[in-house]
Amino acid sequence: MADEPYFTDAADVRSRLDRVDYLVDEGMATALFLALTLGQPLLLEGEPGVGKTTAAKALARTLDAPLVRLQCYEGLAVSEALYEWNYQRQLLAIRLAESRHERLSEADLFTEEFLQERPILRCVRHRGPTPPVLLIDEIDRADDEFEALLLEFLGEASVTVPELGTFVAEQPPIVVLTSNRSRDLHDAMRRRCLYHWIDFPAPDRAAEILRRSVPAASESLIQSATQFVGRARDLDLDKAPGMAEAIDWVAALSALGAPELASEQVRLTLGTLAKTPTDRDLLAEALERA
Amino acid sequence: MPAAADAPGLTFRRLDRAAFAAALLDRLRAAGVASGLSSAEAFAEGLRVVRPDSTSRLYWTARITLVRRHTDLAAFDAVFDAVFANAVMPLDPHARRRGVTGGSEDDAFAPARSATRDAPTDEGLPWVTLPRITASTDTATTEATWSLPERLPSRLTGLDEIPFDELDSQQLAALGDWFATAMQQWPTRRSRRSATHPHGSRIALRETVARSRRSGWEPLELVRSRPLRKPRRVVMLCDVSQSMQAYATTYLHLMRATTLATDAEVFAFSTTLTRLTSVLAHRSAETAIAHATDQVTDRFGGTRIADSLRTLLRSHHGGAVRGAIVVIASDGWDSDDPEALARAMEQLRRRAYRVVWLNPRVAAPDFQPLVGSLAAALPYCDELLSAHDVPALAEVVAAVGRWR
Repeated sequence: MADEPYFTDAADVRSRLDRVDYLVDEGMATALFLALTLGQPLLLEGEPGVGKTTAAKALARTLDAPLVRLQCYEGLAVSEALYEWNYQRQLLAIRLAESRHERLSEADLFTEEFLQERPILRCVRHRGPTPPVLLIDEIDRADDEFEALLLEFLGEASVTVPELGTFVAEQPPIVVLTSNRSRDLHDAMRRRCLYHWIDFPAPDRAAEILRRSVPAASESLIQSATQFVGRARDLDLDKAPGMAEAIDWVAALSALGAPELASEQVRLTLGTLAKTPTDRDLLAEALERA
Repeated sequence: MPAAADAPGLTFRRLDRAAFAAALLDRLRAAGVASGLSSAEAFAEGLRVVRPDSTSRLYWTARITLVRRHTDLAAFDAVFDAVFANAVMPLDPHARRRGVTGGSEDDAFAPARSATRDAPTDEGLPWVTLPRITASTDTATTEATWSLPERLPSRLTGLDEIPFDELDSQQLAALGDWFATAMQQWPTRRSRRSATHPHGSRIALRETVARSRRSGWEPLELVRSRPLRKPRRVVMLCDVSQSMQAYATTYLHLMRATTLATDAEVFAFSTTLTRLTSVLAHRSAETAIAHATDQVTDRFGGTRIADSLRTLLRSHHGGAVRGAIVVIASDGWDSDDPEALARAMEQLRRRAYRVVWLNPRVAAPDFQPLVGSLAAALPYCDELLSAHDVPALAEVVAAVGRWR
């Protein structure tokens, strides 16, 4: 852990994230503060589009730390997440030694020179004033095997390369995991993380987020858009619009110069909010009633 | 956030953080929240760094360190409210001498999920008139001796003629075991993981270099690899409404066998959808079925297939259907609009690999799919099969196996 604490308290987290235009409530601020102070990974869950991924990005920007992102998918393995040996170079080194009539031992072939870093090992071997923020995105898309692979790193902030030994991080990286709950994560993994469930923001905070994300939009547009999105979330939609969709929508409206929701252009922008044809029809209907 | 989190006041001066954390952990665990010692440790440490001077701070510190899953949040809130809403928990050293868990016992009424685990299970299912369950499955499994290639092992041949609602628990267990084995023949999919294989199309560099160690680092022997095949996920939805009462227990056993045998998500539905994957995975069949019965609150009511399907597709389990073999067991008597079912089935069909509809009534000689809902759903099903007795079930296994 760094000598200086990253944040003094949860309120500090809040105000500093505020400066990079990422608004958090008390729960999220406490979660980030505890994760950083206790040096534990933070598992963020919540509906799609509530700002899980953005949280890690904002955190990296606030701390002025490099952001290393690992997008998870099924079959993610050691060679894509931790490290890989550079076999081509090894084969070349063998040929070179042969032509010079030298003897190669195993120790010559498996040195750091031939080691290719992948995101997690890169974080562990990072040298610098602040440790990197590692975003392990959508961990529910990976499989059980990958979760098991993560356990050593999440618990000890170290990576073991059998041929070389164990790398331990100088300063443990700040780890943020996100999940959409499409698959139940293993308990062993949950146990190693702090957990925070992000709720969809309350109307006034949603409006504030929109104000920050789309500075060009007028106040009346933001107010009515927030209200409409709030009501749309109660509709019987295939996919309820999240905060990300709301931001896209207001940005689209303001780019088209729509002064308010009653105008003609609004219909054209519904594609930012509704992602299936049935949803689009339902939303269009709701707009007319509004 | 519960009401208690807004209350002002509540300061912790001289507090034994470890004892406090352990006491709260104890209460949470009693209420069925799955948190362990390491989270209590994190909580104690969190108390030190956060210095909670308001209930809301304490709430967030406790929730973030002690809760690990979304489903535990409600139980956590209940316990937290019970302890801190009208909180004068005796935390000073004097009070603690009388015991750590001394405080108020108000949280006795917090929903305790663990309590259901002690519910008597020897009565069989409260909602089906079945012979009393006497033997445990574990003994039944060890007795099981049959050969693999046979479609119907000898233990099951006697069951041919018995209707599903007259099977006893041992026969059901045997049926479940057979189903789990037979399902190994079901379709697989290409996974992104690979394994070495002599006929593989790729050269596995790692293994080739490792092998070349034997020949003075001369890669004489190329090791090849090819993608592994994994069984496709099975999503099973079983109708437990009034009209399906006779088949419900058997289908529950089949669903349990499925969860144990392969990557599966299983649900029961009548008017609402209940996920049973985690409860049915219990080692003992009786306990699993009893828990499942507890979970399904609306059994033997009406049927809302379309609504249940839509709930599944929109929930965070909707992704589980992608590329899966979907098995729906229902007689298709639906109180929802057939058009709604057609829409839901269309969406399901787009996501799933294959859709199989099991309808016990298909076996009747004069059967015609005239029920509005079934007629609406049929165009989106790959197979409509009967599965009303054991040979029909064998046919289902074989039919799905043909899609390999």
